[in-house]
Amino acid sequence: MVDHHVEIEQLVKTYPGAQKPSVDRVSFSLPRGEMLALLGPSGCGKTTILRMIAGLIAPTSGAIRIDGRDVSAIPVHKRNMGMVFQSYALFPHMTVARNVSFGLEMRKVGKTEIEERVKKALDLVKLTGLGERKVSQLSGGQQQRAAIARSLVIEPELLLLDEPLSNLDAKLRDEMRDEIREIQARTGVTAIFVTHDQDEALSMADRLAVMSNGRLEQIGTPREIFDRPQTDFVATFIGAGNFFSGKVREPGVAEVEGLGELRFSGEAPTGSSVKLMVRPHRLVLDGTGAAGVNRFSGTVEHIVYRGQTLTLTVRCGTQRLQADLPTHAGVLPEKGGEITLAVAPEDVTFIEKAAA
Amino acid sequence: MNQSTPFLGRFAWRTLLVLLYLFLLAPIIIVFIISFDTRQYLAFPPESYSFGSYAKVFANPTFISAFGRSLIIGLVVGLGAVAAGMLLSLSLARHEFRGKGSVNFLILAPFLVPHIVLAVGIMLVMAPIGLLDTYAGIIIAHLGITIPYTVRTIMMSLMSVDRRVEEAALVHGASPAMVFWRITLPLVSPGLIAGGVIAFLISFDEATISLFIVSVRTSTLPTEIFHYLEYSTDPQIAALSVILILISVGVVIAVERLIGLRRAL
Repeated sequence: MVDHHVEIEQLVKTYPGAQKPSVDRVSFSLPRGEMLALLGPSGCGKTTILRMIAGLIAPTSGAIRIDGRDVSAIPVHKRNMGMVFQSYALFPHMTVARNVSFGLEMRKVGKTEIEERVKKALDLVKLTGLGERKVSQLSGGQQQRAAIARSLVIEPELLLLDEPLSNLDAKLRDEMRDEIREIQARTGVTAIFVTHDQDEALSMADRLAVMSNGRLEQIGTPREIFDRPQTDFVATFIGAGNFFSGKVREPGVAEVEGLGELRFSGEAPTGSSVKLMVRPHRLVLDGTGAAGVNRFSGTVEHIVYRGQTLTLTVRCGTQRLQADLPTHAGVLPEKGGEITLAVAPEDVTFIEKAAA
Repeated sequence: MNQSTPFLGRFAWRTLLVLLYLFLLAPIIIVFIISFDTRQYLAFPPESYSFGSYAKVFANPTFISAFGRSLIIGLVVGLGAVAAGMLLSLSLARHEFRGKGSVNFLILAPFLVPHIVLAVGIMLVMAPIGLLDTYAGIIIAHLGITIPYTVRTIMMSLMSVDRRVEEAALVHGASPAMVFWRITLPLVSPGLIAGGVIAFLISFDEATISLFIVSVRTSTLPTEIFHYLEYSTDPQIAALSVILILISVGVVIAVERLIGLRRAL
């Protein structure tokens, strides 16, 4: 028994004539039923990986294994993949039902079984009764659902989604986000989706693979990625942060120039230079008013009111800190006022692989 | 005053348009009227009217058999030009290969060379290989001048086909041949039909090249009309012209009804 459903190993894609690879030695694996997000800025190679898994482009080197078997040599139409395209790519000359039944017809499934499975797939994506519509008569959200039904009806080995929400307006996007998650959970299909939107990735995926410049930066649960970013890129790409360079004085304590001592979580050798990060919402108002370890006094330079939170820019020594405070936190600071901010040592993240 | 100025302007504009159309349609209108004349020579206006010329056309075995040959040649040319156009368009639109620019230019070339020049060239090439006055010869010649049109219309259709749609079919289990048959071909069908119709119509009334390569065995309707006019000028020709115009109009209307020619072009 292989414990990974899908395994990507040392995958490389260099386009002919390109200086450097678009995908550079990427490896990761997924257990059955997991939903993985490939997250990164445009041009980072995430879509190329998805297309290689689908079989639409051939890898330069590396392996794509499903249930332990390398599928690299299997032609695209025999891989049994489901894929939802960014533009949905429904067949414009067919009805919704014919779109959904297409994969089954290609697999020479019997007529009555096709009817049954198409109906079930349309029910699953809440398009019950819309099978006879033309594709052009569907709204954007409905087209998206039809595309999902077309992919799931063939009971694919793997569901691949390329920027599934980017063509929808904001409200529909939230709705479809939950819905895709629910459909995936209900069918138990292993899924990989590509996105450049961190909120989408954090809220939909079981795990995230963050990519930059063709390299896999970090893979982990949304929490791990958000709270324990391992590289500069991941720390800056996901969420906002205050970054500090410091020197480790003793285990777990670093001296940050212009700020003082900062207690952090993670292990770094004494004497080494480290890069530390504090998320703005991890900073809290400190009532004691005295500066000390992980407590910084400073002047409020700037305030932005955001409804649920207040974003402050506070000048502490030579450093500027950004803090998101809840607006219900009693007496709120004012511009020009003196305040003290504190942060728990476990909320000070040591970025392991950063160039300090 | 403020009201009447735009009204006058619109009126003048419409009058101009009507006059322009009248000018363009005048030859057809005159041919139509003459075709009912009872005299045995071409003159305008006619003295009295009858369907006599039409009856004579339908009773003329030369015209009827030439019409049959033109129809067959036109249909074969239409189908052949569409098939060749499809293959050429696919390779030009979807593949990179050496000499692509030259192929593109060669496809355009028949547009640039006057038909009379082409005709002489084709005749000189076909004479030694025995293709003069054969169906193969006339069909090849007509394919040469119609393929540029089918390539153009099919290219346009092909460009508008979203590659992702074909990829989606591929991913969901269709072999490349199936993708072509079930996805690409139906999606470019407006271009195929438009190209086929244009190729048919061009072949059906092509005279210049045909005159150089056909004689008795494979004479087409346009060449027979030309030869007929050399010796006689009577309203039969006008009647035949009206019939040809009606056929062309009929084909165009049928296509318009079927798929919408404007969409196809």
